[in-house]
Amino acid sequence: MTLFWFFVGITFFGIIGYLLQMIAVRSFTASSNSGDGIRLPRTFQAVSILKPLKGLDDGLFDNLESFCNLDYPHCEIIFALQNQNDPAHKVAKKIKDKYPTRDITIVVEHCDEGLNPKVNNLMTAYKRAKYALILISDSNVRVGKDYLTDISQYMDDPSVGLVSNMIRGVSGRSLGAFLENLHLNSFVVGGVCVLDKYLKMPCVVGKSMLMRKAELEAIGGFSSVKDFLAEDYIIGERIHALGKKVRLSGHLINNVNEYWGVKRFINRHTRWGKLRWQIGGAKYFSELAGNAVFISFLPMVIMPVSKLSLLLAATVSSLKIVHDFYIGNKLRADMNPFLYLLSPVKDLIIGLVWFVPILSKTVAWRGNRYIIGKDSLLSPYPERETEIWGLRVVTAIKTRLAWSKT
Amino acid sequence: MKAMLLCDFHIHTTYSDGSVDLRRTINLFGQAGFDVIAITDHVVNGDNPLGKLAHRFKFSVTAKNFSTYLSHIKEEAEKAQDKYGMLVIPGIEITKNYLTTDNSAHMLIIDVQDFIPACISYEEIFLEAKKQKALTIACHPHYMSGKGDRDTLFLWNNREKYARYIDAWEIANRDDVFNVISLQKYPHIANSDFHKPKHLYSWKTLLNCAKDINSIKQCIKHNKGVALTLFRN
Repeated sequence: MTLFWFFVGITFFGIIGYLLQMIAVRSFTASSNSGDGIRLPRTFQAVSILKPLKGLDDGLFDNLESFCNLDYPHCEIIFALQNQNDPAHKVAKKIKDKYPTRDITIVVEHCDEGLNPKVNNLMTAYKRAKYALILISDSNVRVGKDYLTDISQYMDDPSVGLVSNMIRGVSGRSLGAFLENLHLNSFVVGGVCVLDKYLKMPCVVGKSMLMRKAELEAIGGFSSVKDFLAEDYIIGERIHALGKKVRLSGHLINNVNEYWGVKRFINRHTRWGKLRWQIGGAKYFSELAGNAVFISFLPMVIMPVSKLSLLLAATVSSLKIVHDFYIGNKLRADMNPFLYLLSPVKDLIIGLVWFVPILSKTVAWRGNRYIIGKDSLLSPYPERETEIWGLRVVTAIKTRLAWSKT
Repeated sequence: MKAMLLCDFHIHTTYSDGSVDLRRTINLFGQAGFDVIAITDHVVNGDNPLGKLAHRFKFSVTAKNFSTYLSHIKEEAEKAQDKYGMLVIPGIEITKNYLTTDNSAHMLIIDVQDFIPACISYEEIFLEAKKQKALTIACHPHYMSGKGDRDTLFLWNNREKYARYIDAWEIANRDDVFNVISLQKYPHIANSDFHKPKHLYSWKTLLNCAKDINSIKQCIKHNKGVALTLFRN
């Protein structure tokens, strides 16, 4: 029974965390809706938008097109790809043809300077960037017309070195996408808002980063982060270390996750978990303690099931559904309300995924495998004899199974 | 150098047994940068229990809803042309399912104008398609992986009789490649047989011709400037 109350205690702290997230998100969305901090009249500094592309993201055409519809007077868009056979190349070309008056450049150049493929893409795009302000924008985000106008105003203040944006998951049409969007719109958004509001930690979401070339070069440019998986975090930390402010804009951008499988959802959060474990160290344990749903189910796993343990799990799951629904509404995530019933299931999966980073340092990302080290520093995946042998056995079994089916 | 057209001529929607509705299906291909697609929902033969089941569960376009189907495709095709510069061609997949794989056959009628029932004879179907100036394609004509009892072998087994009516054969369907087609040197194309989003990543056709329906039909019929590509992300 003592063990049961121990779990109740941890669950209680998790619920306090949920409350803090709700308050932080409410305060964040209230300030973003009120338009605080907008100063008029203002200058519109020219911006180079760097879009690293690899493969087809959900809704890629619309994502790229949203940048052509920006209501901003001076900007160029640079699509960067590693090779011409990438399916995203055709989409980028169609966008360029559709908007002939827009300043759009497509850069196809192989670069393998670093281990982070996104940074490799950014390095080639950066060489073509004409303007002093650069915006790094992932290919899976879709923005509104006023996005650049809103975020660029922060850069009018010379003490600001980097502006990032909060993301919300949208457009889910499959189970994996629903889970992904639920997680982005609860744990990720809630966590970032709590860190920003209560702990005053510089939070950088790599999907949208606006900065000056001068500051990027002062921290060593892209080549200084080419081997880090969390290049966004490192850039933010280093710009902060220069004495510049790192701001989180109130402008929400859409992260489009439409047709994801559950496997992809698990892979992404295993990768992100490994990243946080390598960066945060012991702080990573607070994530497990903060997963009240997962903790509330543990008594039923390690002790005989009782009415009390069932009541605990049911109560916490209900609270979490309300929490996610509240945050989703605040973010205007436009999700079917019934989908919030998946929240406890998602948290149980995330609870299990939490353990993987402690057991494995291998990261699989966009077709490559790496070993992740401190601060997310990547090193090549070692092809040891034993591993090659293991791979051969697996391949042989798979081939045999495929033959037996035909 | 002019890029070849990225095409898929075998796509199902919720008008038959696809899992994605027409608008979303077209958008999915448009978002992925395709140049030409054909929507080809099943028209199932209703003259046996299998076909009757398909009709009962609305897995078939029928004479009754054909005009709605066609006008819906045309409406969405206009939007796709404006937004993505993508050509969307209306089509159907004549689906003759029987209890034995040797008697079953599926064929695509591309650029269909009027309803063609699946329960009439093969000759009648082909002649009607020709009358409508539509393209006829024998789909998944040989043994497929993992489908077993759903193979459709009739047209291949009777190729000497029917090859003259068929404009092209599917040499690749989704993940399968039918090398027998190339051995016979038949005109060929490759398609996804799209039923759900993951089927987007499959065999496709590349055409070296202008992006209009007549040029595309000629290109496939003459089978010059036709290439296959395994479209992967």
